[in-house]
Amino acid sequence: MYSAQITRANPTCILLLLDQSGSMSDPFSGNSAIKKSDFVADVVNHTLHDLVIRCTKTEEVRNYYYISVIGYGHRVGSAFGGPLEQRRLAPIAEVADYPLHVKTSYKRVADGGGGWVEIPVRYPVWVQPSAAGKTPMCEALFEVKSILEAWLREHPTGFPPTVLHLTDGESSDGDPGQIGQEIMSLRTDDGPVLLFNCHISSRRAHKIEYPADEAQLPDGFARTLFQISSQLPTNFLAAAAQLGVHAADGSRGFVFNGDPSSIVQFYEIGTSLTGMTPYKWMDDKLNLE
Amino acid sequence: MSGWQLQTRQFLLPKSGHQLSECEDAVGINALKSRFAVADGATEAFDARSWARLLAHSWVEIEAPVLTPEGFRAWIEAQGQSLHDSWNGLKLSWYAEEKARAGSFAAFVGLQLDFKAGASSWKAIALGDSCLIHRRNKSVLGALPIADYQGFNAAPLLVPSRASMQEAVWQQVIVGQGTIEAGDVLLLLSDAVAAWYLMLLERDEKALARFDNLIRDEREAELATLFESERVAGRIKDDDIAVVRVEIMGL
Repeated sequence: MYSAQITRANPTCILLLLDQSGSMSDPFSGNSAIKKSDFVADVVNHTLHDLVIRCTKTEEVRNYYYISVIGYGHRVGSAFGGPLEQRRLAPIAEVADYPLHVKTSYKRVADGGGGWVEIPVRYPVWVQPSAAGKTPMCEALFEVKSILEAWLREHPTGFPPTVLHLTDGESSDGDPGQIGQEIMSLRTDDGPVLLFNCHISSRRAHKIEYPADEAQLPDGFARTLFQISSQLPTNFLAAAAQLGVHAADGSRGFVFNGDPSSIVQFYEIGTSLTGMTPYKWMDDKLNLE
Repeated sequence: MSGWQLQTRQFLLPKSGHQLSECEDAVGINALKSRFAVADGATEAFDARSWARLLAHSWVEIEAPVLTPEGFRAWIEAQGQSLHDSWNGLKLSWYAEEKARAGSFAAFVGLQLDFKAGASSWKAIALGDSCLIHRRNKSVLGALPIADYQGFNAAPLLVPSRASMQEAVWQQVIVGQGTIEAGDVLLLLSDAVAAWYLMLLERDEKALARFDNLIRDEREAELATLFESERVAGRIKDDDIAVVRVEIMGL
């Protein structure tokens, strides 16, 4: 399982599911300068940037991935801005060519002679921060299931779709356990759909990353998210190890009470798919003005 | 080269479903200088086809052969600058610009033959997983930089075009040499075909002999058919293929 080669003829699907409820405008605990919604949008844009670069061969972007970014808050739907605004799913080449806008920043790079130079770098933006309304998690998961069912009808043999779900609170429209299990029961010939969940917190609370059992989870909501989180396949475990994240056989793709670094690692691990080296965009970010 | 003659053959085959013009492997042949090269551009890199061609074509043409790690370093730095100069003025998308910023990457192996009465020899220089294999009759006298088919992996060392990325690889430049006799065959191979060749050495000499006959006799269509069937059988990675075959002939 999880060994299908990802090619243009046999692509895979990556779905980013974002909580955009009102509470996402709160800051992270201990760092009042950063709103959760701002940080998450930044990480999502960097993740999309990484996925595009990974598919770029010379000047061409090859459609190894189809991308969906679904937000839920005051509404449930595509979180893409700009030309892709109405799109539930887009091939990575279209994602590359149709960002909302492209901003220019400066990056410090080695000059090869022992010094550094600052060069202009263009960064595309697809998703803008959004934080409004309640937390219709179940409705959003039904939307995810609908997108995946359509995808799987067309791509029954590929590397299974990966769903990376990020939330900061409990569902406001019911228990997501049942619909989560339904998503996890969807599959290709290469294995079941991967559903990973990252819960982030505004409170100063002990974070739990990639647990293998429920024993250390603090409440029923945490246990529900654990139960609708897939086990990390071997390739993803290898990516976690490269990032210095502790995860072992049986670990679920699940983070509870995560902080900003947890979010970055969650996306890096969750998009490692067939075991490619995680792209540590945070290293770039630290060099950005 | 008094007293010796060379028979040289070359073969290029792109990945399945690709045109020859898309092939990112390149060969360089300069029979007058008895110099040969294969370079294998990394598909993930920006303008890898140009980088591979630049390396293979330039190396066989330069006045004095570059066969020391120090000389190779200076030569690569100049070639990298030349490649980047060729990109000036290009209008690129944001993602192509990002790839260009990282530069290009290729594996390289170069071979120089030296004919002297009683002491004829070869010298080679390599960085990456493109290989030289030296055969005499049915024996392999030497293979570099990789001599075992299990030594190939998905993340080989490559020659970077960017000066800022080159420092990390200079220690990995491999230089080798050996003597040659009439009848010897030297093969320069890009990684997929090198791994296949080294595997067949252990498992299927008959298939290897067929390959050698086809390339010697320039039966390119049959070679292409052979590799297509080997790809389908999963015995060779579906990658670009570059082969340079040099046979040392007597008088």
